[in-house]
Amino acid sequence: MSAGRFPWYNREGKPIEPFVIGIAGGSASGKTSVSKRIIKNLGVPWVVLLSMDSFYKSLTPEQIAAAYRNEHNFDHPNSFDYELLHQTLLNLKKGVKVEVPIYDFVTHSRLDKTKTVYGANVVIFEGIFALYDKQVRDLMDMKLFVDTDADVCLARRLKRDIAERGRDISGVLQQYHRFVKPAFDDHIHPTMRYADVIIPRGLDNTAAIDVISRHLSRQLNDRGVNLRIEIAGDAVSDKLPDNLLVLKPMPQLKALHTAIRDRTTSRHDFIFYAERLSRMVVERGLAELPFAEVNIETPTKSTYAGKTWARKVCSVSVVRAGATMEQGLRSVVKDIPIGKILIQTDPSTGEPQLHYCKLPADIKDRYVLISDAQIATGAAALMAIRVILDHDVPEDRIIFLTLIAAPLGVHTIANAFPAVRIVASEVDKELDEWLHIVPGFGNFGDRYFGTTDESYGTSDTNSDNGY
Amino acid sequence: MSTFTPPKQVVVLESTPELKSLMSIIRNKDTARGDFIFYSDRIIRFLVEEALNHLPFVSKTIETPTGFKYEGLAFQGKICGVSIMRAGEAMEQGLRDCCRSVRIGKILIQRDEETALPQLYYAKLPPDIGQRFVLLLDPMLATGGSANKAIEVLLSHGVEEDKILFVNLISAPEGITKMVEAYPKVKIICGEIDQGLDENKYIVPGIGDFGCRYFGTLDDA
Repeated sequence: MSAGRFPWYNREGKPIEPFVIGIAGGSASGKTSVSKRIIKNLGVPWVVLLSMDSFYKSLTPEQIAAAYRNEHNFDHPNSFDYELLHQTLLNLKKGVKVEVPIYDFVTHSRLDKTKTVYGANVVIFEGIFALYDKQVRDLMDMKLFVDTDADVCLARRLKRDIAERGRDISGVLQQYHRFVKPAFDDHIHPTMRYADVIIPRGLDNTAAIDVISRHLSRQLNDRGVNLRIEIAGDAVSDKLPDNLLVLKPMPQLKALHTAIRDRTTSRHDFIFYAERLSRMVVERGLAELPFAEVNIETPTKSTYAGKTWARKVCSVSVVRAGATMEQGLRSVVKDIPIGKILIQTDPSTGEPQLHYCKLPADIKDRYVLISDAQIATGAAALMAIRVILDHDVPEDRIIFLTLIAAPLGVHTIANAFPAVRIVASEVDKELDEWLHIVPGFGNFGDRYFGTTDESYGTSDTNSDNGY
Repeated sequence: MSTFTPPKQVVVLESTPELKSLMSIIRNKDTARGDFIFYSDRIIRFLVEEALNHLPFVSKTIETPTGFKYEGLAFQGKICGVSIMRAGEAMEQGLRDCCRSVRIGKILIQRDEETALPQLYYAKLPPDIGQRFVLLLDPMLATGGSANKAIEVLLSHGVEEDKILFVNLISAPEGITKMVEAYPKVKIICGEIDQGLDENKYIVPGIGDFGCRYFGTLDDA
């Protein structure tokens, strides 16, 4: 099984909402264990497990003092921040990056830092009041209630609090009688009626959990779209979209293309010419950034009416082939922050899958140059752009840099994200039956990094010609 | 900025906001040397890439690893660089970045104190320079005195006039006019054309002394 994230958006590039599961139940009823078992059964990566514990309200000094005396009621519905919880789930559902608060049980307050969560195909939210708030309930696609006998819950709670949390038996029992049991009877148990499925006996009920898991798997499969194949079936219009910016076809550019496309070109030459070409594409991309007027004084004491860059920029490489443009980027913007995205094609379905994503923290304040060596069907590009959009970067601040592009892929991107600009050094004719770009340049990453058995040329015929 | 209409021998880089931004950095009197070098090098790279477009190419059809034909081009003929010392040497790396192990000749021309005419002090050129295209490198074209002297030296070494490309960052109209009158077949590749020259024959608005700023030999540096 591949660990990549399958597309979470449709062919228009719009996100498909993740499946949200709510799991409620009494304290120590086994909600977390059930959640983990479901995740294991589903076998899909990119599942986010969200705990209600993260959404405790910070306590006042008086409440903190009471908490230390075991006199604060943590089991009351009012102890939770439903507004923040709702907003967080709503954003996860929209597919955008969220900051989940971290609640510290020692100081009984929220920490300054948060946990960044991005990219969920399935969200499992568990907690005693998971089904309590209507707004929150309305975001759920499936609601479960774990119904474990009260004595089992109490036994587990005693064991956990005494063995793992170092509490004494009388304190635990006092809290149980005073808060936990009444909260369950008055507030938690009544939410059972909102559940779609009730799981008696919790984790021990493997039959029920398996049935639920299988149902979920089917639902997820129904939602998954076979993007790449769908795209490949499109008829391509002859007119290239306006958001495509192709380098001016000068003889030098053509000669560079001749060198990198030639199968007999040695790796040594391939790298050299690929980098020259990359640098041209990078420079063209940078020219798309906004500029401001500026008057400067020259050493001759005269004024020059110039320009300056108006916005910050960063780049994001689509690993592996896109990372070959990093040298070109650093050569022109010395300290450019560079994010990385790893997208692999699943060999069985031909679909792109997101495996890794690490982006500059302030990416939403920057223009973003996404780099990849080629755009074939546009499936990987669509995924890369979707990731950047999900990190709050406006569409018109994204510039996609590529060495070659096929018309199909360019149309796919323009159709989904018309404000994204694409810079290509040449546009190729078409894709062959295996969806490879032709005439193309073969596997760019393999040729650049030297990871192919296929021996391309070894002659440096192009190098130093006439120099 | 300049109302001067350059003659057909001159190729000026497209005046994009980006080029203007780079020029704004290197023209600024307060720019630190590290940045001056970095951004000059970026403009030089543009100039070299543009200059290489004006060399002859022949059609070349190649086969790609996907087994398809690609109708391409290949560079034809031999080239070399010749830098006019000292400032022209700042452009050598840009040329080498595009043309690995390119041969580079050097010419030193100084102004004669008595006659005020440019005088050749030193020339070391590739022996077969007569068979090559020559990229003549000098960042500033002011009066055109030393550049014309350099062209004269190249011609005396057998270089054909129409095989000389003069590559520079900033030109004054006076220099262009003088060069085109004397050597009409020389092609000039230029970053920007400025207003003209001041009483000290410096280009305005200009850049100051390019060589001193690039190599760090200004008194107030």
